[in-house]
Amino acid sequence: MAVCIAVIAKENYPLYIRSVPTENELKFHYTVHTSLDVVDEKISAMGKALVDQRELYLGLLYPTEDYKVYGYVTNSRVKFVMVVDSSNTALRDNEIRSMFRKLHNSYTDIMCNPFYNPGDRIHSRAFDSMVNSMMMQVC
Amino acid sequence: MSVPDYMQCAEDHQTLLVVVQPIGIVPEESFFRIYKRISAVSQVNVRDSQRVLYIRYRHHYPPENNEWGDFQTHRKVVGLITITDCSSAKDWPQTFEKFHLHKELYGATLYDSRLFVFGLQGEIAEQPRTDVAFYPSYDECETVEKRIEDFIESLFIVLESKRLDRATDKSGDKIPLLCVPFEKKDFVGLDTDSRHYKKRCQGRMRKHVGDLCLQAGMLQDSLVHYHMAVELLRSVNDFLWLGAALEGLCSASVIYHYPGGTGGKVGSRRAQGGSLSAEAGNRHRPGALTSNGINADTSAEIGRAKNCLSPEDIIDKYKEAISYYGKYKNAGVIELEACVKAVRVLAIQKRSMEASEFLQNAVYINLRQLSEEEKIQRYSILSELYERIGFHRKSAFFKRIAAMQCAAPSIPEPGWRACYKLLLETLPGYSLSLDPKDFSKGTHRGWAAVQMRLLHELVYASRRMGNPALCVRHLSFLLQTMLDFLSDQEKKDVTQSLESYTAKCPGTMEYITLPDGLKLPPVPFTKLPIVRSVKLLNLPTSLRPHKVKSLLGQNVSTKSPFIYSPIIAHSRGEERSKKIEFQWVQGDVCEVQLMVYNPMPFELRVENMGLLTTGVEFESLPAALSLPAESGLYPVTLVGVPQTTGQITVNGYHTSVFGVFSDCLLDNLPGVKTSGCTVEVIPALPRLQISTSLPRSAHTLQPSSGDEISTNVSVQLYNGETQQLIIKLENIGAEPLEKLEVTAKTVNTKEKLYGDFLTWKLEDTLSQFPLKPGKIATLTVNIKVKLDFSCQENLLQDLSDDGISVSGLPLYSPFRQVVKPRVETKPINPQESSKAGDFSHVKVSDVRISNICGAHWAVLWFVLTRQCHLLLDVFNSTEHELTISARNNEDLILHAGECQRMAIQVDKFNFESFPESPTDGTQFANAKQLEEERQQAKGLEINSKLDIWEASVEGVLNQLVLEHLQLAPLQWGE
Repeated sequence: MAVCIAVIAKENYPLYIRSVPTENELKFHYTVHTSLDVVDEKISAMGKALVDQRELYLGLLYPTEDYKVYGYVTNSRVKFVMVVDSSNTALRDNEIRSMFRKLHNSYTDIMCNPFYNPGDRIHSRAFDSMVNSMMMQVC
Repeated sequence: MSVPDYMQCAEDHQTLLVVVQPIGIVPEESFFRIYKRISAVSQVNVRDSQRVLYIRYRHHYPPENNEWGDFQTHRKVVGLITITDCSSAKDWPQTFEKFHLHKELYGATLYDSRLFVFGLQGEIAEQPRTDVAFYPSYDECETVEKRIEDFIESLFIVLESKRLDRATDKSGDKIPLLCVPFEKKDFVGLDTDSRHYKKRCQGRMRKHVGDLCLQAGMLQDSLVHYHMAVELLRSVNDFLWLGAALEGLCSASVIYHYPGGTGGKVGSRRAQGGSLSAEAGNRHRPGALTSNGINADTSAEIGRAKNCLSPEDIIDKYKEAISYYGKYKNAGVIELEACVKAVRVLAIQKRSMEASEFLQNAVYINLRQLSEEEKIQRYSILSELYERIGFHRKSAFFKRIAAMQCAAPSIPEPGWRACYKLLLETLPGYSLSLDPKDFSKGTHRGWAAVQMRLLHELVYASRRMGNPALCVRHLSFLLQTMLDFLSDQEKKDVTQSLESYTAKCPGTMEYITLPDGLKLPPVPFTKLPIVRSVKLLNLPTSLRPHKVKSLLGQNVSTKSPFIYSPIIAHSRGEERSKKIEFQWVQGDVCEVQLMVYNPMPFELRVENMGLLTTGVEFESLPAALSLPAESGLYPVTLVGVPQTTGQITVNGYHTSVFGVFSDCLLDNLPGVKTSGCTVEVIPALPRLQISTSLPRSAHTLQPSSGDEISTNVSVQLYNGETQQLIIKLENIGAEPLEKLEVTAKTVNTKEKLYGDFLTWKLEDTLSQFPLKPGKIATLTVNIKVKLDFSCQENLLQDLSDDGISVSGLPLYSPFRQVVKPRVETKPINPQESSKAGDFSHVKVSDVRISNICGAHWAVLWFVLTRQCHLLLDVFNSTEHELTISARNNEDLILHAGECQRMAIQVDKFNFESFPESPTDGTQFANAKQLEEERQQAKGLEINSKLDIWEASVEGVLNQLVLEHLQLAPLQWGE
């Protein structure tokens, strides 16, 4: 389904980034990194809205030739970025939304772990398997 | 049209294009000097009108772009200025011919042209000509600006006539169809009389007139014409020209809304002209007011307000125009340029998201096969535009691609310099600075994979540039900052290549200044190895300075007049917490201990590791070490010798790893534990080495406390035996020794065992003082063992249990307590023969005295008035045969382990000669008795086989025996 999933800290450095092993990993690093410009822009535009009315889902950040990049930002300004193959037309906005919600829930679980230091890289088996499941659904 | 001008912006639509070119051989420098002066005249306020003409100068313009001049008139070259260098009149006709040839290049579109001739003097130059100007040299051409202004005015006249001609051309005459180059063949054979065709002609002409009005400074008119053109062209679905009309509308509105310009280069253009630009600015003002809408003609004002697009509409219209352009493959350049212009407008409006959409579109516009250079240009401009809308990451991304393109393998001569320069510019976009200090705060947080890639590319580019120093700097930066993210294999690769580079050019601690002024700070390898703690070590005990106690005592602070003040004590306490208690001594080897570990998966060789200090001249003695792979904490001792006195601060250390020299300052190291790094260095002190004639003992008799040094030597002596111990005092320092004190201390649990074991004569030794460096003095100590074993039966037992006594012999030199030799008495233990140990400066004597005789004493008393017999049970506990002789007695031979009884006749004596103290009873009496018995004991001389010695029975005789020894208090009548 997704080809790359990244969690990015408030200060815009990656907490977690994982892509389909078959592809060039660095390429996704670049894709996600440049998408942050758009995320920042969207957040700054959103900033005026009230906190409770804020939509966490940022929608399509930008399309590239082969991929679509979607974004999601939590209230604590942690960003989730998902890169999806653009040939996969089965994926609607609603599916993307629900995937992000799943991701958010899983991230919340990590934050609940008393041994996790907010701001550190995420090393969690549960999170890994969840991300894997989201990437596995390709077929 | 194939060459896009990425620098275009919306307000360029109102400019007249003038090409300035050299003909013949003109020095490039001179040409650009003149070009600069010419291009300073970019705005001209035309005489007797408030309109302003804007001129765009180009020194290079592809003629095929000129062919699109009808489509958008600002693309049309209307003026040509040529600059030529002509030194003799002979060359003149040839030059003039060239000028005419050159004119034909842009022939059809030119309104006017000029030729500037430099260097020609004489009658040809005298001739007044309008199209040619003569200047004697490049330095004497004050009238160039004036000439240009005249030239522009002549352009204006042509422009104005054309505008009026077209604008008023409303007669039923056929309006010619304007078309772009690729359309020409499409219209062959079309019915030129159809309504549709006529409308198309009208619409296109309207648009053209709009362009001309805009160029002529009539903004409101151009808006009206554009609106009409849009209506007309929309009705005939002439999309390409509709797009152009819409874009014209946008441009005019942009000019109205943003008089400051969208390109961001107007300011720079003005700045070039120096004093001239100020003049131009003044001239510009009335025109600017016009374009700002302050005009007497209010009706025009109202009309413009109605016709002018709102900022939001501008973008919508741009979008529309671009979508129309997109329908034509041949209009790719127009579309691309429109995108760029729209982005510039959006950047001013601060609508980044929409701008990024335009840019995204621009990326996908496929022009014909671009040359490598054009690709670079395209990526650079994309990067610049992204930068402008605040998308720094995107900008960095494209800049990096541009950089890679500079060195693409398909390019015959890769521009590594350009590549490197562009790569450097991408650094901020990847939030990467080349200062290692920025990385010293805790763990690195960033896009490590991306940053590492960039650093690798920097390394590669700098290597190909042929700048090994730069390459080493980048590579060491990579290793230092990205260490946590490198895999084991990468670590190996990076270090290997680093070593191969440093073989040619070792890494230094100097700043590297790049040609463009950027300074690359040095990269100290603070992580190779990682230092965990730094501890200054005290001097070895033997070399530690001791303060000679002054009469005033220690509590008096030298700084304060008060004997005691709590405030001072408090502040001193604080000071103490930072400062180190001990001192270092000038000229002595001082040590600092570092705990280090190696994070690399292979053995790390650290060479030339030494200390960095301030305050005192310090001779650092570098060490080389080799740390095993992924070692745990590993202690390293760095040494050095302070050469002067004062405060010394250890700031850090320097290393050389993989050929890179680094100075690591402790302040910049995270997580280093240190217990203060400032210590006082006191002046040099003398050093004394003491050696004795006795063999050393392997056993320490007493655990040495902190402030005394001991070395043990041992000697075995039989009771009663004496031996000379020669202590050799050698001054091995550089200062003369002035003072020596010797004391003996008996460390003894049994107080009853008195005796002067050690005697010495210090005077002989002191006569050799002060002891000059290198000189030797000797001190002779006599060891005499005198133990008394009488009566106390358990004494023998005690002796074998835990030894008897330990005596110390502290020696004092003026400042430093050097040595405390120890003398010890202990039962024999054959295994304790001397063993070789560490030879330090000091030797301490250990005298072991064996007890030969344990004895039971008994007094046989007979009823003798003046004499009695002391009866002794003598036991030989040694392995030797003994001969004991006593006064008035035969010699008694004792075999080993034998016990015999002997009797000694002694005279009774009177105690009365000692006055008895009434206050103290028994104790004093004992003392008195002891004194008397000492006299008695003199009679008891025993000859041993080994030596002659005297045994004392003092304190051994018990009370009962004493009574018998006493003379009866009776006076016998004689």
